[in-house]
Amino acid sequence: MSVLEAPIAQPAVWRMPRMVARLLQSPGFLVGFGILLFWAICAVFGPSLVPYSPYRDDLMNALAPPSAAHWFGTDQIGRDIFSRIIAGARPILSVAPAATLLATVCGTTLGLIAGYAGGWVDNVLSRLIEVILALPLIVVALLVLVALGPSSINVMVVIALVFTPIIARTVRSAVLSECALDYMAAAQLRDEGALHIMFVEILPNILPPILVEVTVRLGYAIFTIASLSFLGFGIQPPSPDWGLAIAENYGLIVGGYWWTVGFAAMATASLVIGVNLLAEGLQSALSS
Amino acid sequence: MQDRLDRARRAAGALENHVADEFLAGRLSRRDLLRHASRIGMGTALIGALAGASPARATRTGKPGATIRVAAQMPAGAIEPLTVSESGGVMMLCQTGEFLILSASDLSLKPMLALSWKPNADGSVWTFSLRPGVKFHNGHIFTAADVVATMDRLCDPKQGSNALSVMRGVLSPGGTKKIDDLTVRFELEAPNGNFPYFVCSENYNAIMLPADYGGDFEKNFNGTGPFRLDRYTQKVGASFVRNPTYWGQPALPDRTEFSFYTDQQAEILALEDDQVDVIWQISVQGAQGLIRDPDVKIIDIPAATHREVHMRCDAGPLADRRVRQAIALTLDRPGLIHGLFRGLAKPGNDSPFAPIYPSTDPTVPQRVKDLGKARELMHAAGHADGIDVTLTTERLQEIPDYAVLLQNACADIGVRLTLKIEDEAAYYGAAQPGRSDWLDSEMGITDYGHRGVPNVSLGAPLCSNGAWNAAHFYNPTYDKLVATYVAALDLHTQRDAARQIQTLLLEETPVIIAYFYDFLVATGPTVTGVNVGAISQLFLQDAAIG
Amino acid sequence: MNARLLAKRLTLSAITLLLLSAVVFAAGQLLPGDVGRSILGPLADARAVAALNHQLGTDQPALTMYLHWLGNLLRGDMGQSYAFRSPVAPFIGHALLKSLALAAMAAVIVVPTAIAAGVFAALRVGSWQDRLITLGGLSLTIVPEFVSGIILILILGVWLRWLPISANTRPGTGVMEQARHLILPALPLVLLLFGYIARIARAGMLDALESDYTRTARLKGISPSQVLLRHVLRNALLPTITVVATQTSYLIGGLVVVETLFRYQGIGSLILTAARDKDFPMLEAGILVVGAAYVLSNVVADLLIGVLDPRVAMSRR
Repeated sequence: MSVLEAPIAQPAVWRMPRMVARLLQSPGFLVGFGILLFWAICAVFGPSLVPYSPYRDDLMNALAPPSAAHWFGTDQIGRDIFSRIIAGARPILSVAPAATLLATVCGTTLGLIAGYAGGWVDNVLSRLIEVILALPLIVVALLVLVALGPSSINVMVVIALVFTPIIARTVRSAVLSECALDYMAAAQLRDEGALHIMFVEILPNILPPILVEVTVRLGYAIFTIASLSFLGFGIQPPSPDWGLAIAENYGLIVGGYWWTVGFAAMATASLVIGVNLLAEGLQSALSS
Repeated sequence: MQDRLDRARRAAGALENHVADEFLAGRLSRRDLLRHASRIGMGTALIGALAGASPARATRTGKPGATIRVAAQMPAGAIEPLTVSESGGVMMLCQTGEFLILSASDLSLKPMLALSWKPNADGSVWTFSLRPGVKFHNGHIFTAADVVATMDRLCDPKQGSNALSVMRGVLSPGGTKKIDDLTVRFELEAPNGNFPYFVCSENYNAIMLPADYGGDFEKNFNGTGPFRLDRYTQKVGASFVRNPTYWGQPALPDRTEFSFYTDQQAEILALEDDQVDVIWQISVQGAQGLIRDPDVKIIDIPAATHREVHMRCDAGPLADRRVRQAIALTLDRPGLIHGLFRGLAKPGNDSPFAPIYPSTDPTVPQRVKDLGKARELMHAAGHADGIDVTLTTERLQEIPDYAVLLQNACADIGVRLTLKIEDEAAYYGAAQPGRSDWLDSEMGITDYGHRGVPNVSLGAPLCSNGAWNAAHFYNPTYDKLVATYVAALDLHTQRDAARQIQTLLLEETPVIIAYFYDFLVATGPTVTGVNVGAISQLFLQDAAIG
Repeated sequence: MNARLLAKRLTLSAITLLLLSAVVFAAGQLLPGDVGRSILGPLADARAVAALNHQLGTDQPALTMYLHWLGNLLRGDMGQSYAFRSPVAPFIGHALLKSLALAAMAAVIVVPTAIAAGVFAALRVGSWQDRLITLGGLSLTIVPEFVSGIILILILGVWLRWLPISANTRPGTGVMEQARHLILPALPLVLLLFGYIARIARAGMLDALESDYTRTARLKGISPSQVLLRHVLRNALLPTITVVATQTSYLIGGLVVVETLFRYQGIGSLILTAARDKDFPMLEAGILVVGAAYVLSNVVADLLIGVLDPRVAMSRR
């Protein structure tokens, strides 16, 4: 069989129905999906369903412990914490996916170029990636935010900036493995342009690892945004964001006011664990 | 009794007699008498005759020999008297350094390194006589030459001292003259009835240093105070021991130890674990549990610390004063004080005249929440549909919460506030118009520290040529009134000017000042004698445990 | 690895660090506010600020400042802090020590625990214990440190009172007491790293159990537990070293969240404060130190693996 007649490999994405079946059987995936779905519903519909406005203050009732009137108690200016927890899903679930998407687009493009082009382009890009990764990501993010000033948009940009190299690295490795396959040689012999090869031939075949990477990165995006909000550089008041709530109130733990931070902490933990379980399930399903 | 009073009055000047008149006519309380008397340097004989008994020297009841451990705020930079600008550094300076005059927590002025002071007829020249027999810790004897050198250094632009912002327009280099070893004369740039406050402990950079001072304060903390330096370690702490050659009563404690903290919670834990005896400053928001703890003593000093909400008077929707008044009317001031400060604050009436100042006129009616009137004003101004305003401010203590509360209150009358809360450095920027979010913003909240007299808060933030005029308030009548107030030597003129200023500011409302909060210190149950200075300094020479 | 390769690695690392310093310096110029004003406070007189800026030399062009700083650094002088007017090096040293102490405490707790868990999971592969350890560990790696920190503070510090909440102790406290205060701050890090190390130890253990040299060792008559100890554990250690080395960048400079929560003055907080205060010398020095730690730890890790990996070692014989 000559090279010209070698079959073009089936993109992995065409094996979907089997994968979906596998996913639906994995308990980790289902639990993760459930958690994410719950918070997504809160993000979209929550603010209209909650008993109190997440923003209305009630100074006479500040720092009240959980009770029948306020299930999760009230914060330092009397806002109902239960309402703020439900409403708090929206800020994090708007910024994190957007940042991840941006990082994916940029990182995939960079990774494709680096992996396919090789040579000095690859060298320069890899060195740049290494410089950025030499510092802890949170420090890079902080320094940029100190310069730009904190706001949700800036946070999104910074997260995208910091995650792009990581995604680029993964995509680059995937591309390098693909380049060794037969169909690549066939495509080059057919004189297809570089852009065509990168985006039409390679990309569909490396979608599975990208998909896994994206889901994992989503978890880390939530992780990093929450941490930045905690440090005061992320989402800004009066947003009911959970990281911000903890930043505003963790000094009160010592005085016994545990409800001002405990619920926000558990909400954050449940969201990140849910996303991670989802990513794990996806990875197992795609790799077998 | 009457003889004594008559004799004293005859010996006194016109100014002192005026204050005596006010007191005898009942227009001045005993406390205010003491404050004014101290300001103009009234002789003790007259004070004694007026007040019926000589001002009692506070008897020290504590046992000597204790070691006092303090949880203090970490100084943010080098301990250099010229450039210190934050509370941690201020606290360190006053442990071994002393001022010409001490401003006590009740705003009265007490002699420290100066024994007495007198103005000339119009208050443009003040003559101070200095305390004899004072030695610096390194043995150098304190004389007028040291005062001249210290003051010249403080008001010299080339030295770049932090005190320049206070001394500007008041004193310049060469204005301090030595008359003899124990007499100094200050020739001011303009008459100033409150000048003693400018050389008191409130001007926290103005500790007296030897004339040959070479910039090495952090190594030896060389001053004239009741304690001398034992050890200073940056970012860790400092310790001091009793100064045996002090000019006054020897300090009661043998030793004081300061540990530097960056957060309230750790300080509270340290006090509860009996690792420290005093927490130098607590905020109500951070120390809710502590305030209700029966085992902890809270020293509560009313102060003039406040937050100024400025509104742009020269452009935008807030240029119409009806809108500004409407916004000021949406605030539930008692509610704010209860909710944010658990009652440990005093209501503000939208002017820098805090209730604690003797010159504040208490007859000016206090503004209260009135939504009906506010909505009327908004309609009259043509804003029935409401307006959109951006509020820019800094992330400091309770200010973000205050901003949220303001946002909610304004929403009731259709004023839709968008909040922009920044880091302190980003908010202040370069502190020049055009390069500072603070000075360029439509509406903002700024923190103003305590001062013993309202001069600075009346001038820089609100005068037409003021450097801190974020409200862009240009009102010639106001400028004239403030000039009158500043120059006034006698109480009557001061009060009169104050009343007019307060009324004008209520009319124009360029700023909202809703509360003045108290200064709080927490100590263990058996600690006594901790003296707190008006600008939040801590004096421990009378402190004891048990 | 041989000397030539080592030299090449070190040179590449030095270039990376130089690039890093230039990038950070350039970025620092973009920070808002100015140095003199940061030190004197926002309300200081403009003349005072100008005078101070002149004294500190911050009114010179950026390139001059950078080259000046670089020159000093190559002579071993990290410069003077703008805020504290005293040498930067002691601050960096002190903060680095504190970060290392925290990282060491975390390592001391997590390495034995995670390896043991990974080995245990491998020995019971497929069982519910295995799934619990694997999935549980993995879930924990994604929980932000301040979240797990808050929950741990509430449970262990406030309700059960088993551990002290404050990470700092008065000077003069004994080493054991200081260590005790570091346990609670180290726990979020432990939870973060547990999953990775356990998974890698488990995978390494599984590989080793099935490998040739294990079978050979068993055939030679060496008892099962001895096989475990000598050959298999050695191989499980290898991936752990890799993980710890790659996490060094995080462990040394990335602890800023834990440091903030526990008010612990490590190098992460130092960098953040320096950025806020526009204290360039401190900021630059801090970042370089963290970058250098990462780069160095990678080199050391490679060396260690070269020594420990039996396949590499054997090929040299």
